[in-house]
Amino acid sequence: MSDGGGRVLLLVGSPKGLEKSNSARFGRMVVDRLERRGWASEAVHLHAAVRTEAGRQALLDAVDTASVVLFAAPLYIDSLPAPAIRALETIAAHRRAGSVSRVPRFVTLINCGFVEPSQNDTCQWILRRFAERTGFEWLAGVSLGGGGRVPKRVREAFDILAESIDLEILVPDEVERLTRKPIMPSWLYVVVGNSMWRRWAARSGVEERLGDRPYERLDS
Amino acid sequence: MGKKALILDGGLDDGALTRGPGEIAAVALRRARWRVEALVLREIDVAPCLGCFGCWVKTPGVCVIDDAGRDVAGRMIQSDLLVYLTPLTFGGYSSELKKALDRSIPNISPLFRLVRGEVHHVKRYARNPRVVGIGVCASAPSDPEEEELFETLVHRNAINLHAPADGATVICVTEDDEAKRERIERTIEGVIGA
Repeated sequence: MSDGGGRVLLLVGSPKGLEKSNSARFGRMVVDRLERRGWASEAVHLHAAVRTEAGRQALLDAVDTASVVLFAAPLYIDSLPAPAIRALETIAAHRRAGSVSRVPRFVTLINCGFVEPSQNDTCQWILRRFAERTGFEWLAGVSLGGGGRVPKRVREAFDILAESIDLEILVPDEVERLTRKPIMPSWLYVVVGNSMWRRWAARSGVEERLGDRPYERLDS
Repeated sequence: MGKKALILDGGLDDGALTRGPGEIAAVALRRARWRVEALVLREIDVAPCLGCFGCWVKTPGVCVIDDAGRDVAGRMIQSDLLVYLTPLTFGGYSSELKKALDRSIPNISPLFRLVRGEVHHVKRYARNPRVVGIGVCASAPSDPEEEELFETLVHRNAINLHAPADGATVICVTEDDEAKRERIERTIEGVIGA
């Protein structure tokens, strides 16, 4: 067992912030497990942090003093939301300036609204290159699909992930095995998902307008 | 009237990395008789996407944020070709380019369909622009892994955004001008001739 002296920094790259986002909820599930092992934690909402000079400096200070950075964000068009990329640019510029010698460990938790966790692969690849090029130690990239559902096997994966972080051992392949499987067949997700979108639109009275084309070309 | 290309310049700071490649792309397109418009995104105030899905289920096809992001999204879907011009950012896009792409999701439908067994969104518009990605790296030599990543990202975007053709290239700012020009022209020709 570790002596519980670690400090985990949760970076949340969702516009919905620390309270309402799935990214923060998933990140908290891992952080809670570390806190139970005696870890200290801090959380930063990246969209808020990158808006001001003071926020960017606070972000850099938090990164510089973390043992582990847990980067949790939603998938936006095969990549991260723009403010989360802005945060990566800011951190990279700071670390490349050469004033930082610490090598925090880096774990990512990317979730998407498609059913296949594999749709996060390109985003995870970008994050791994970021870690490798800016002096972090890449530990693991955990991908979740299904728009916020957390089956029991994913909670088990978080147990293993937190234990691995705490004990400073390699993250076993078991974590990927437990999180990589879609929560339902893709065809069923299409049926269930489309029903959800139509119900959601009906609540705003626009179910019949779901296919509107407000920017239709005049020469179409 | 020729076809229309929209160059989305995602350059950071003073734009030194992307300005030259953008000009090369514009010249190549005009020579092929395309109309070219360029948006320097760092000069346009586009708020970040809220992730609220309002553009899908409240005001279908239009972002709920009333700012320049609406105009950018409209210009994107009304183009025949989009050029994603960006500093190569760990193999991906800069924050400036991505702020415009994030705000373009009103241009697809929320509804799902299967594409080769994978869930993706349905088209909103019958016609969707082709996509060329030009990544510019600041130091030579460029990283082959990040080149592959950039090409993969552009292609994955093309699937999600229904681009009928796509291609990508990475150039180094330190390369000689002729090498840059040759690479950019070949990539554009590959996409507009497809």
